[in-house]
Amino acid sequence: MVPQALLGKLKNCIDDRPDDGVFRVHRDVYTDPEIFALEQRFIFERTWVFLGLESQLPGPNHYLTTQIGRAPVIVARGEDQKVRAFLNACRHKGAKILINEQGRQKYLTCQYHGWAYDCQGRNFHIKDQPTGAYSAAFETINHDLIPIARLESYKGLIFGCLVNDVPSLSDFLGDMKFFIDLYMEQGPHGMEFVPGRAIYSYRGNWKLQMDNGMDNYHLTSTHSSFLDVQAKRRNGDGNLAARQFDWEKRNAQHGGTFLFPHGHSLNWLKQPEVEKRPIWPVIDEIRARVGEKNAQWMLNLKNSVIFPNMQIADSTSLLVRTFRPISADETEMRVYCLAPIGESADRRSWRLRQFEDFFNPSGFATPDDTVIYEDCQSGYQSGGSGHVPGLFDYTQGCERGRSVLEQGASATARELGLNPSASLEGKFDVQQEMCFMSSYREWHRLMLTGAAEDSVVVRRAGSMQ
Amino acid sequence: MTANTLDSAMALIYREAMYLDECRWADWLSLYTQECEYWMPMWKSEDERNADPQTSLSHIYYAGKAGLSDRVARITSRKSPASRPLPRTSHVIGTGIVLDQHADSIVVRSAWCCHVVFPRHREAHAFFGSYRHELQREEGEWRIRNKHIVLLNDYIPTMLDIYCV
Repeated sequence: MVPQALLGKLKNCIDDRPDDGVFRVHRDVYTDPEIFALEQRFIFERTWVFLGLESQLPGPNHYLTTQIGRAPVIVARGEDQKVRAFLNACRHKGAKILINEQGRQKYLTCQYHGWAYDCQGRNFHIKDQPTGAYSAAFETINHDLIPIARLESYKGLIFGCLVNDVPSLSDFLGDMKFFIDLYMEQGPHGMEFVPGRAIYSYRGNWKLQMDNGMDNYHLTSTHSSFLDVQAKRRNGDGNLAARQFDWEKRNAQHGGTFLFPHGHSLNWLKQPEVEKRPIWPVIDEIRARVGEKNAQWMLNLKNSVIFPNMQIADSTSLLVRTFRPISADETEMRVYCLAPIGESADRRSWRLRQFEDFFNPSGFATPDDTVIYEDCQSGYQSGGSGHVPGLFDYTQGCERGRSVLEQGASATARELGLNPSASLEGKFDVQQEMCFMSSYREWHRLMLTGAAEDSVVVRRAGSMQ
Repeated sequence: MTANTLDSAMALIYREAMYLDECRWADWLSLYTQECEYWMPMWKSEDERNADPQTSLSHIYYAGKAGLSDRVARITSRKSPASRPLPRTSHVIGTGIVLDQHADSIVVRSAWCCHVVFPRHREAHAFFGSYRHELQREEGEWRIRNKHIVLLNDYIPTMLDIYCV
């Protein structure tokens, strides 16, 4: 059960008073180990989480391993072609069975005592069973891998959930599906991760990445050295192979944000240099396949968060990013380059050079973001302190754009047939911060719902004071 | 003859490490040929590294010196939070072996370790792996025509730059 004091703290974490134009986030959401522990249970283990791409499992007996909250998970394609997901833990003593990130293996054998399963999760071997003098009861119980409660995919993106009581994946994604279509239909034969992935970690809370992936306002300060390098390249000096965009041109573009239910949001911007997009040489094929409007929207810049821990950025080239909370102040990042299957060699290398230049933890932009998360984490230690109660508690990071926020659909949303809960449109220079509300509202809803249900369960068990 | 050639090649590789550790960026750039290739592939899986920078991801890939000069521009801009205060590094290089040599070129494999301290966070890490340097003689001096870096510990704490490897 969630103690009363912690419940009070949770309620105060988000100060959301739309009528007063107030939305404030408490520093405790980034630092408090008790809140972190509840996030694992009430958020990561109670909502849909991205697990991988169907194209990572091209045939029978291909698998990938990942994590939902604290639970290690296997996603595998069985000999019957069906994709399933299981807890990555042997039924015998609970050891993790599959260690590698991806692979192809007919038999999944635990390295501890040799129990073996197939890619459909069925136990078919208990080592030395005949000599084991097992009880008759043991022979009757199920020894198969434990399937996770829900597994669904949309346009090749596989999501899983550890509990049953969630909306369908389609309802969960809602209007984000329109944008997932724009990401996942860029290739006529589907999309794949280019071989390789960067894994890095930072000493900061996972929500710092959740925010920053959607933060337009930091570009000209955090990334001013990157902008300088771009200016140098515009004069013909530097790594022109990166075909990086002229970000100063972007500042004058029309764009906006959509806040969707279930914590998702999307920032968009008209793309001034469409010829630098790796899909530009095949745009006619794309137009013929998806229509003029969607092709144009594929070219537009888009940054999106699929709550809680997935971001898809279609800004320089197409990126999928996941972040795994390790503790309140440590996060593991994974970044993947998403690309059309069967893409031509020249467009593939073009995409790679753009991606590496910007998104890599060894690139020109991401390292500057990541060290700042660590500075935020240090700064947040002041939450709840100070001689004036509340003075240090809340940040002022969700203010820009408030006076131009529209409830419901903006003109562009209506044109696209989308129904966001709120939207904002204007020139990029607003550098809005309204998009953050979507994820924090869902965060707060799940935390309070989880805490309330937790209390109910405990009360039924009779252990409540 | 072979030993002397290896010694002179290793001297250049040590010199490169010294320039990085001492932030002598212009001197570091001067060690590379104009058409140099600089490549640090990502790992594809636990067991296998990416083998082709044109079809798979790299931590860093440049075909030409311009990419290296961009790195120096950023590091010296004083505007990059990740580069200010600049992490301090110490490279240790050993076990140089000649893989191939001709009159005006040599290919050397060596093992490297780089200790990095991030003054911003008061934390130290070590990156390590191996190098494969292809050197060519230009006006009597060795220059780096190709540098291939294997990064073994690719679970990167926060960030990584050219001076960390």
